[in-house]
Amino acid sequence: MTQSPTLSRRPASSTSPLPRKPRRRGADARAGYTFLLPWLLGFIALTVGPMISSLYLSFTNYNLFEPPKWIGLDNYTTLFQDERFLQSVGVTVGYVVFGTPLKLAAALAVAMLLNSKRRGQGFYRSAFYAPSLIGASVSIAIVWKAMFGDAGPVDQGLSFFGINLGGWVGNPAMTMPMFILLTVWQFGAPMVIFLAGLKQIPGELYEAASMDGAGPVRKFFNITWPMLSPVIFFNLLMETIHAFQIFASAYIISNGEGGPAGSTLFYTLYLYLRGFSDFRMGYASAMAWLLVVVVGIITLIFFRTSKSWVHYSGDSK
Amino acid sequence: MINRRHFLTTVAVGTASAAALSACGSGSGSSGQTGSAAQPVTINYTWWGNDDRATRTRKAIELFESKNPDIKVNGNFTDFAGYWQKRATEAAGGGLPDVMQWDLSYLRDYGQRNQLLDLSTVKIDTSAFEKSLLPSGQIKGKTYGIPTSTNAFAVYYDPAKLAPLGIAEPDGSWTYKEFNDFLSQVGAKSNGALYGGTDYTGVWWMFNIWLRQNKIEAFTSEGKLGFSKDDLKKWWNLTAELRGTGAIIPEDRVTQLAPKSPFGSNATATEVTWDNFMAGYLGDSGAKELKLVPVPSDDPNNLGLFLKPSMLMVASAKTKFKDAAARFIDFMVNDPEVGQIFKTSRGVPASKTQRDGTTFEGTDKLVVDYEKSIEKYLKDAPEPPIVGFGTLEASFKRIASDLNYGKLTIDGAADAWFKEAEDLIKQNA
Repeated sequence: MTQSPTLSRRPASSTSPLPRKPRRRGADARAGYTFLLPWLLGFIALTVGPMISSLYLSFTNYNLFEPPKWIGLDNYTTLFQDERFLQSVGVTVGYVVFGTPLKLAAALAVAMLLNSKRRGQGFYRSAFYAPSLIGASVSIAIVWKAMFGDAGPVDQGLSFFGINLGGWVGNPAMTMPMFILLTVWQFGAPMVIFLAGLKQIPGELYEAASMDGAGPVRKFFNITWPMLSPVIFFNLLMETIHAFQIFASAYIISNGEGGPAGSTLFYTLYLYLRGFSDFRMGYASAMAWLLVVVVGIITLIFFRTSKSWVHYSGDSK
Repeated sequence: MINRRHFLTTVAVGTASAAALSACGSGSGSSGQTGSAAQPVTINYTWWGNDDRATRTRKAIELFESKNPDIKVNGNFTDFAGYWQKRATEAAGGGLPDVMQWDLSYLRDYGQRNQLLDLSTVKIDTSAFEKSLLPSGQIKGKTYGIPTSTNAFAVYYDPAKLAPLGIAEPDGSWTYKEFNDFLSQVGAKSNGALYGGTDYTGVWWMFNIWLRQNKIEAFTSEGKLGFSKDDLKKWWNLTAELRGTGAIIPEDRVTQLAPKSPFGSNATATEVTWDNFMAGYLGDSGAKELKLVPVPSDDPNNLGLFLKPSMLMVASAKTKFKDAAARFIDFMVNDPEVGQIFKTSRGVPASKTQRDGTTFEGTDKLVVDYEKSIEKYLKDAPEPPIVGFGTLEASFKRIASDLNYGKLTIDGAADAWFKEAEDLIKQNA
């Protein structure tokens, strides 16, 4: 009986100045779905369908040529006895843990520098943004490989300062720093988002803080950081997910092998090699689904912990 | 490249578009369509190789088209590593090119799984072929591949690099110890400017030859491994003392130089590999002359050598143009003018008509002479290796490279390879 008041409100609304509203809503919805249809069809045929079939394949032994054979959870259990799999997890986690924060720090630092008005601001913004536009391309990976190769500019530049590391590309200890540098260098996309966020912070806050005698460090931690925290959270989430998916540059720089000595055997590269070099698509599908689950869990953890440090305007905190 | 990346992006978000593709990939259409000069049929042909081979192949295709106006050939190539990943993708989608250059390592994977056309059902002339060579393209009575040419293992060296070091040119009658000493000498006398060679124990086929020298089979007829873990340890121990010295180029240098080989980059004085790499090495290194001698053996009467089809021509089982494909294959393996175009860059032509129609001069003659010189040592060519052999060969190379990096001990490396090999054999059983 507690519901009756809500129900009784419906006929009341039909006597309102907009009597045809429900019908128009239906028409709107239909129009909306019609416009959505191409995307929806694509989404179902190209994303949902393959995802379901990939989930099925992950429980099978499938070599691309013959019909898949159901093997239950075998792919998932053998994964954890596969040393190369564990190696690929190690490589990828190392890259995400070190690369992402550094990239975001670089993006934020440069965004703050570019936030103030100065001459040639537009040029600097484009210049810093450009690498992230071309960063994922194959050509950049090739250039990068040449730069860090034996007797490449990086090697020669460091030699000038008396640091002799030799080429980075062939040295298993130096490939990870190289990849992290490559990703940090592509900080343009998060930088632009940070810039937009910084513009939203009212200047009065800084003025007031200055009046109270706050220095730049206090201003950063007491104003910029909390005011920007939703943007930081967004960038952190996107860049983390993005970092897990590194592939093209690893494929090119290591000649598609994940070498030297497995130091660039990123998760997706190993997944690809398993599927298309070793003809073990079931195994590769299991890896793909494991990645989906892990990224999902990490996203969930981010959202849970975000409550303690992300402040949205209008929050009571 | 874009195709591959495309695929990955899809896979990475948790999809296997392969299945989706295979559903819509099965083309209908009557088999064996033919064309006319007015309405030629187009067949796709794909090969792996470098620019040198691309130029030669395009010439051969032009020649074929001028002689067969009813057929157009659409040619395409990639490097060796990318080649097989691409074929796997296409096979999953049911869209393999009509005609393909093929490698023995992958013949079983595709042949046994009904991806390749049985070429005995179409018209291809094999009367000019050595009878002992044809079985390497056959599996269980079906002919999946026709060899274009043969190659054999050899030790390359650059005489111009040995002379200034005061090292005598080898004659190829050497034991493993003598060969190792030779490599060490190069490293020592050049003061690190030149390495002796690449670690030959990282090359699967050289291991295979060593097994044959010791009368051990690589694979049993049941598709199991014919050698033991101890054999493999013994093999990797052969160069244990050379690793980290000037005799063997360090692995990080090899990685830096890739995709060029150390020998082609003038970083080493020798290279143990297939004899048909001559043209590629000459092009890469700019050397005036490179010479070939037989591989080392501790038994002077058994060098373990054999002629392998350096490449095969195969057709897709699903091709709509069986006759056109067969005519193109026949042309590529038999036509004397094609021999004249490729010389020894694919290996020594396998068909006698093609061999006789080709004049071999200079370095090409060296390759032909080399194969003649080892004739008396040649044993039967191995039949197509086991299913998944391509993967085994790749992991052999990778694990040997980890060994050179010092990431694995010899025992650890042998364990690692056997684990992968046994897993793979079980998987494909």
